[in-house]
Amino acid sequence: MAIPSTDITLLVHEPIDPVALAAYVRAHEDGAIVIFDGFVRDHSKNRRTLYLEYEAYEPMALAKIQEIAAHLHQQFSIDRVAMVHRLGRLEIGETSVYIAVSAAHRAAAFDACRYAIDSLKRTVPIWKKEHFEDGSVWADGELPPVPSATSAAKPAS
Amino acid sequence: MPSVSQSVRVKVLFFGRLKDIAGSPQESIELPAQANIESLFAYCATRYPELRQYRSSLVASCNQEFASWNTVLHAGDEVAFLPPVSGG
Repeated sequence: MAIPSTDITLLVHEPIDPVALAAYVRAHEDGAIVIFDGFVRDHSKNRRTLYLEYEAYEPMALAKIQEIAAHLHQQFSIDRVAMVHRLGRLEIGETSVYIAVSAAHRAAAFDACRYAIDSLKRTVPIWKKEHFEDGSVWADGELPPVPSATSAAKPAS
Repeated sequence: MPSVSQSVRVKVLFFGRLKDIAGSPQESIELPAQANIESLFAYCATRYPELRQYRSSLVASCNQEFASWNTVLHAGDEVAFLPPVSGG
């Protein structure tokens, strides 16, 4: 599925620039932007978090993010999409994932943004390691849905 | 013409806690012809027995698409074992 060339889908190892991304999706034909800004919390299950580390199966993760963006355009009356996930070490308060969706009307922007973050958390191969004062653990996550038939796999190119 | 070779070489990738167990992010592994992802995992688990306990709580991909455990492997395939994802 191709996504419009106006979308931004990225995995980055540097801080995310939310101002630039929000400005990017804002066009004169739009009337609304909905943003999801996910950032690092200072605690997890009553333990004080020091920092997080994110890793990804990068080519597959980017492809899955692009699939989600493409699906948003099929499903919702939206204009532009920016979906960016950061990898590596993140400190408390730093943005790990940023999704901005513009649309002519607010309902589509809200619905699409919600769909995008929910899908990302369920299907994109990215993992988070939580570092605490007394050790570190891989965060609990969600198991992506997998096809039951064998025919879906493509041969190696 | 396909090769008459009785084995296929695939690349296998480990992520998250699976990488910690395997001790490296990727390996090249030679398997019998007609091997599937399940048998690849079983082979990996003979080398890293601690992997076995995660069999029911991971999914696999083949060539960067989620794939079922009975997917038959071909030479050059890239298989990854993926723990529950926790991005966001």
